[in-house]
This record gives sequence, C-alpha cells and structure tokens, in this order.
Amino acid sequence: MSHGDRAADRWTYVGLLCVLLFFGIPLLWVLSLSLRTQEDILVTSLNPIPDSPTLGNYGDVLESAQFPRFLLNSGLLAAIGSFGALAIAAPSAYAFSRLRFRGREPLLVAVLALQMISPLIVAFPLYRYFASLGMLDSIPATGLVYIAILTPLATWMLKGFFDGIPQDLDEAAMIDGASRYRAFRLVVLPVALPGLTAVFVLTALLAWAEFVIPFILLSDPSNLPISVGILNFQGTYQANSTGILAAGSMLAILPAIVLFVALQRFIVGAFTAGALKG
Amino acid sequence: MAVPSARPLPRALPRPPAPRRVPVPEPVAWLAPLLAIATLFFLWPIINVIRLAFTDTTLLREDYGYTLETFSQTLSDPALGHVLGVTAVFVAASVAGQLLLGLAIALIVQRAVARGLHGAVLVRTVVLCGWVMPGVLIGVIWQIVLNEGPYGLVNSALDTVGVAPVSWLSDTGLALVSVVIANIWRGTAFTMLLLYAALHTVNRELYDAARVDGAGRLRTLWHVTLPQIRPVLLVNVILITIATLNTFDMILSLTGGGPAQATEVLALHTFNEVFVNFSLAAGCVLAVLLLLAALALTAVYRRLLGGRDEA
Repeated sequence: MSHGDRAADRWTYVGLLCVLLFFGIPLLWVLSLSLRTQEDILVTSLNPIPDSPTLGNYGDVLESAQFPRFLLNSGLLAAIGSFGALAIAAPSAYAFSRLRFRGREPLLVAVLALQMISPLIVAFPLYRYFASLGMLDSIPATGLVYIAILTPLATWMLKGFFDGIPQDLDEAAMIDGASRYRAFRLVVLPVALPGLTAVFVLTALLAWAEFVIPFILLSDPSNLPISVGILNFQGTYQANSTGILAAGSMLAILPAIVLFVALQRFIVGAFTAGALKG
Repeated sequence: MAVPSARPLPRALPRPPAPRRVPVPEPVAWLAPLLAIATLFFLWPIINVIRLAFTDTTLLREDYGYTLETFSQTLSDPALGHVLGVTAVFVAASVAGQLLLGLAIALIVQRAVARGLHGAVLVRTVVLCGWVMPGVLIGVIWQIVLNEGPYGLVNSALDTVGVAPVSWLSDTGLALVSVVIANIWRGTAFTMLLLYAALHTVNRELYDAARVDGAGRLRTLWHVTLPQIRPVLLVNVILITIATLNTFDMILSLTGGGPAQATEVLALHTFNEVFVNFSLAAGCVLAVLLLLAALALTAVYRRLLGGRDEA
C-alpha cells in the first residue's frame, strides 16, 4: 500500500464524516430535544445530551387522540396506493416491455409526462369532482387518487425490470401451451419479485410523504395522514411544547425509516439496474 | 384485472360480445387499467384545470362564469414576477447544490467501498433518510434546527464559539438560503444513488490509461469520469429540476413562504391562491404554468434519452 493511498484514505474518512454530520445532526438534534422536558429545552447553552432524559413527550404524543390515528391513516393510504399501483402498473409495464404495437412510443412518453406532473395540478379539479360525488373526506376514495399518482412511476420502473428478464422465459412457457397472461402471472411475476418489492417500497415511501392530495381531499382530523396532521401538530405545539413536536416528528419518521432500512437493498438495486432512468 | 384469458369461460352465461368472435386487440387489454386511471385522474382533471383557468370560480361559491379576466390578472400580478424570481433562485441553487454534493458523496462512497473502508453503508443510509421523509416533516425539523429561539441548534452552536445569532428564517435573503439548504439536505440522496450507479458503469481500463498518462485525480475526474457519465448527469438534472419545481410542502412548514413572500415559490404561490385567497381559477392559471414547465422538461428528457429505450 503506497503512502499516497493511505493519505487518500484519510481524506475519504474526513469526507464520510462531513457527510454524516451534515445529514445526521439535524435528526440527532430533534431526537435529543424529544427526550427533554420543556425547561431543559429552553436552556440557551448548547448541550447535545439532555441532562435528565425523559420519554414523557412520547407518552404525551401517543396519548393525544389524534396522533396514532394519523399514523394509522398514513399506513392505510400507503397500502392502498402501493398495492393498487402495482396491480395496475404490472400488466401495462409487461405490455410495454414485451409487445410491439402502434402508439407504444408516444404512450410511454405520456406515462413519463404523467410522472413529471405535480399532484397539485390535478388536485383542484379532483376536489370539485369529489365534492359533487359526495366523496370528500373518504379514505378509500382518496386512496384511489394515491393509486393514480403512483402508477406512472411504478409502470416505468416495472418496465425496466421486465426488460431485464429474458423473453425466452415467457416464450418457453407459451410454447408449452400457456396463454400470455398465464406466462406473465406464473413465470414472469415470480422472477420479477425483487423489482416488485423495490417498486412497492418506493411507492409506499412516496405515499407516506404525499401532502397535497390528502390536504385537499380530507379534512376531518380523524381522516388525516401524518404528512398533513404534523402541520396541525406544528401549529399547536411549536411555541410552547417543542419537545412534544420533536417526539411527534420522530414517531412520524420512524415507520418510513424502518421500512426503508429493512428493504433499502432493493431500492439501491433498482438504481443500479437503471430502472429509474427510464 | 381486465386481462384476456385463452381458456374458455367455465360458466355459460350470456355474454354480449363473445370474446372469440370479437377479439380484443392484445395491447389494449393489458393497458386498459392504466388507460382508465390515466383518463380519470390525469387527462380529465387536466382538461378541467385548463377550462377552469378561463373562469372566475372560487372556493366560496358554486356557480361561475367564463372570463379571460383571471388569466390576465394572474399573469400581470406584480407578485408573480417576484415569485418566478424566487423560484428560479430556489431551483437553480438546489439543483447545483444537489448535483455537486451528490456527485461528491457518490465518489467518496465509491472510493470507501473500493478500499474496504468502514462506514460507507452507514453514510449512504443516513443520506437516504432525508429523502424518504415527508416534506412537511423536513420543514419542521429544519425549523427546529435553524430556530432563532433558545432551542435552535445552529445559533446555539454559533453562540458557543462566540458568534452572534443569525436570523436564518426572519431575514428575507437568509430565509431563501435556509430553504435551499433544507432542500439540498432532502434531495441529494437521489443524485447520490443515480450517480453512484453510473460510476460503476465506467470502464476500468480508462482509469488505468489515465494513470499511465500520469493524470491526477482531478484531471481523471474531469476528463474521464464526467464525460463517461454525462448522459446520466443530464437526465439527473432534469429529474431533480422537476422535483424541485414541484416542491412546496417543505417550505410550507419551514417558512410558510415568508418572510414577506421571500421564499414563496411558484408551487406554493399556486397553493396559496387557492387556500389563502380562495381563488380556484387563479390557482388553475398557475397550475397551467406548472403543467407547461413539466411538459417542457419531459420533452427535454425524452430528447436526452433519444432512442435508447428500444432495447
């Protein structure tokens, strides 16, 4: 090992440390505040480790009638959105990958364009429909919109994964007498499981973070997901109970981070496979 | 799922168009669910958002009439020029920051993995944590970190080393800087992942050749690595530009667009027209602007990809 390599290793560690500090410290600071009493928070000097750590804020958050409800609603909407988007995207992605038909190219570009469109653009007319149909403030109806806004990304990603599966596989099944649909369901889908998982994780995380659609279509506090509910929470607790707001933030992040850390190899794999570049 | 089956249907119920005699064209059946959802939740709303832009509809009453007034008023509003300026700075600074930082992290992590150094996976995971969080929460977290009250982290740290407190969120110029920093913190992970994957595709022999030629690390980066990953860099710029342009949830909880509209980007301005001024029509005019921007960027993206899809 040369002297130059060892010096460069040191600089690599310095770089890693800087990145870790910039991205990690905001989270650790909020974690630290969440473990303090309000008096401990108002101390002006910098003390990263709380003097007398307490879980009291977390207790207060979980006992508040709304907060666990927000988390549950987010989970429901994410589940409806991700599974629904997978169910709708999978057959279309398969068709884009395997079939050659007129209008395929323009359709693919159209799906790409849908993916670029902010939910904010469709949200206002959707509000008017839902109002006229009496479907405002309904979690299942809002879930349908989640499915819709997650489907374009799911279609593009899944097409990328299907492209990576050899055509011989489904063609062999079809020569053996299976219909294309059976070949898709029984041969291609099982092989594409890592890709399906990557799409599920990514769409579930996007659904967990979705803000505009639930903000506009849901209003009763008992229907709100955490991404909107935390805004109410901020309004209520920012000034006088920062510890409770910090604890709420930590609890709101936790499910997304657990899901992500448990399954991140699928997401990193999706990027490496080039599925996100289209 | 509306997917055709080659097997005969087991039940002999009367079904008007017998599938055998009138075969559904194969792609249509596969694409039907996608087409249905795209029509219902994208196409139809988009037609309506354009139609409503030519009305005077508000959230406050049911009926409305057609007019060009809203269009001309919204577009000639002096605030719009200011908003577009803020948006341009926010997008340009965020994209530049995410691109540079994302590239740097990808290079550092790649080197650490290649040399078997510790901590690369931890760093990658922590960077990605910001990316998977709801935008409103990112705003809340940075609101706490940059707070000018006693619990603000950055000002407490500055105080410890004897620097006077900084008005991160109440100064009009600094507030925009703060919003950009928070957005870089949020979005860098995407660039890091995309470029990290791209770095693996660079042919090792090119690096060996560069070393033989005596090129240093920076020259190798500039003359070998960057040209090799150029297509991914361009695609990456488009994707983070559109993501930044559509961002407003984070700003809503971080600064609320203030102070004095200093951080009110186009997407937030659109949101405010509807939910603060209750003018649904004006919101639709601005939504059309956002739509045009998204379509323009899609067209550029498509050109960059060229015919590469036909694998």
